[in-house]
Amino acid sequence: MDYLEFLFAGFAVFWAGLFVYLLWLQARLRTVQREMETLKERLAEREAEERSGSDAPPGT
Amino acid sequence: MSAATPTPSSGAGRLRRLVWALVRPVYEARWTALPPLTGAAMLAMLVGAVVVAPREAIEGEVQRIFYIHVPSAIAAYLAFFVVFVASIVVLLRSDLRFDAVARAAATVGVLFTALTLATGAIWGKPIWGTWWAWDARLTSTLVLLLIYSGYLLARSLSDDTDVRAARYAAVFAIIGFVDIPIINMSVRWWRTLHPDPIVTTLPGNQALPDSMLLVLMLGMVAVTLLTLWLLSLRAETERIGVEAAEMRARVDRIEAGGVRRGGEA
Repeated sequence: MDYLEFLFAGFAVFWAGLFVYLLWLQARLRTVQREMETLKERLAEREAEERSGSDAPPGT
Repeated sequence: MSAATPTPSSGAGRLRRLVWALVRPVYEARWTALPPLTGAAMLAMLVGAVVVAPREAIEGEVQRIFYIHVPSAIAAYLAFFVVFVASIVVLLRSDLRFDAVARAAATVGVLFTALTLATGAIWGKPIWGTWWAWDARLTSTLVLLLIYSGYLLARSLSDDTDVRAARYAAVFAIIGFVDIPIINMSVRWWRTLHPDPIVTTLPGNQALPDSMLLVLMLGMVAVTLLTLWLLSLRAETERIGVEAAEMRARVDRIEAGGVRRGGEA
C-alpha cells in the first residue's frame, strides 16, 4: 500500500501552487512597473506644461 | 535632552544597529544570492524527499508527503510572524512601508497555509480514509487561512496609502496571530485525528530516525529561503504599488489644478 498516485498528487499540488504564485507575482510586478512608467511620463508632461504656463507673461 | 530619549549610544540605538547588522546581509543578497540558493535548496529538498529518505514501514511511499507538508506549515508560521512584527511596527510608528511588508508576508503565509491544507488532505485520504475531518488541528489551520484571507481582502478594499486602514488591519493581524499557538497546542489540548508532534519532542525521545530528520531539516532550510525570496519579491511589488498610488494622487492633483485654472480663464 504505497498510494503512489497520492504521493504524485501531493508533490504536483505543492509545485504547481508555487509556480502559479510566482507567475501571478511576476504579472503583478509587471503591471505595477508599467503603471509607474505611465505615471512618470504623465507627471513629466504636466510639470512641463506647468512650467511653460508659469513662464508666460501675466495676462496672456 | 531627556534621559529617556533614544540616542545613537542608547539601548534602543544599539538594539536597532544589532538587528540591522543581522538583517542587512540577507536584505542585500535578496536579488543576487537568494534566488539561486533557493533553487538549489528546493531541488535538494525534492531529491531528499523522493530518493534519499527511507520508505516508511507502515504508511509506505505516500508518507514522503511529510517532507513538503511540515515545511509548508513552518513557512506559513514564519510568514505570519513577519506579519505580526510588521503590524506592531505599523501601530507604533504608522509607517506604511511596514504595512507593505505585512501585506506581502500575509500573501506568502496564505499560500503556504493553503499548500499545508492541500497536501494534508491528499495525505489524509489514503491514511485516514477521508480528505477532511473537523479535527482541532485541521479546523484551527483552516481558521488561520480564513483570518489572513480576510485581512488581505479588507486591505485590498482600502487605499494602500490610507494610514488609518493600515492601523485597523494591523490590529486584526496581531489578534489573528493568536491562532498559531492554538494550532500548535491543539494536538495536546484535544483528542485529534492529526498525530502528535514527532519532531519537537525531548532529545532521546525523538520519534523520527536521523535519516528522516535530516531530509526534513533540509526541507525546512529550503522553504525558509523560499519564504524570504517570495517575501522580498512581494514586498517590492507592494512598495512600487504604494509609490505608484502616491504618484497617481500627485498627477491627479496637478491635472485638477490645471482644469480649475483653465475654467477660471
